[in-house]
Amino acid sequence: MSKDIKNITEDIMNQIEQGKIKMKPRVYFIVGSILTFIGLVSSLIVSIFLFGLIRFSLRTHGPMGEYRLDQIMSNFPWLTIVFAIVGLVLGVWLIRQYDFSYKIKTWFVVMGFILAVMVAGWVIDSVGINDTLLQRGPMRGMMSNYFNNNIQHGMGWRK
Amino acid sequence: MTDIEKLTDEELVEKIRSNDYNLYAVIIDRYKNKLLRYAVNIVHDDDKASHIVQDSFIKAYINLKGFNINKSFSSWIYRIVHNESINIIKKYHKEVSILDDFDFGSDENIEEDFEKKEVMFKVEKCLKEIPLLYSEPLSLYYINDKSYQEISDILRIPMGTVAVRINRAKKLMKKICQKI
Repeated sequence: MSKDIKNITEDIMNQIEQGKIKMKPRVYFIVGSILTFIGLVSSLIVSIFLFGLIRFSLRTHGPMGEYRLDQIMSNFPWLTIVFAIVGLVLGVWLIRQYDFSYKIKTWFVVMGFILAVMVAGWVIDSVGINDTLLQRGPMRGMMSNYFNNNIQHGMGWRK
Repeated sequence: MTDIEKLTDEELVEKIRSNDYNLYAVIIDRYKNKLLRYAVNIVHDDDKASHIVQDSFIKAYINLKGFNINKSFSSWIYRIVHNESINIIKKYHKEVSILDDFDFGSDENIEEDFEKKEVMFKVEKCLKEIPLLYSEPLSLYYINDKSYQEISDILRIPMGTVAVRINRAKKLMKKICQKI
């Protein structure tokens, strides 16, 4: 038997008695769990909103109401996509911290999360939450900026 | 058998968390040899394995109040050893061969099933020839006597994946280890 393993109990108990190793308080773990949950919910909300915004931007059309690919491409919020993807990755990583997640195949968790975010993004845009945010709410400035920039390019939105 | 020895791991943890820290020695004595065997099967080096087990017990003690008492302590401590072992492997980028005369002071019950004993012997002998992805669930199943559910909890993979990996490991063993 390894020499080290024989003394392992004594070594560790000495360290505990001398106060060299101490248990972290329960509150540390409670705060950790709360922060993880808040992080997960935040990333979910941000991703859903950004996907809603992407769909909102895809409704852009020319002065006569026609869809123009060049307009959509030039005004497409590419940075929003990057943020949405970062939100998704963060959300999936946080969801993997929960015990239930490893009982399901990773791809199911990833695809389920992406699908849920995209469907929720589509729903909030369809029910007009983005239009409401355009007029009031915490995202008003960002939405108005996007809206005004596109107005200057002679574009509108199709419901 | 004393009253302390009759207590389950989870009951002991509950007492340790309520300032009866001396009982942590009982936990260490219950698990040190099993965990050493497990760590050796991952890193193939007895000194590194000893350090992994010691560090794992220290980490477990520090985070003891974060352990969910409704879950298995055994799976939790094995998970810590798994993580520590993987960190060591990543750190050294290579696995060193296990010493042939390495002796485990086993306090486990001897397997009654001869067939399983035979498989266990073969598993230990050729485990280091199999990739870690397959050797780890195999060692947990045959050497550490863990169920599929426990292996799933330790490796944090679905039970179906555990079954697939053990199955593939057996096939690999048949191919590779027949030469040994």
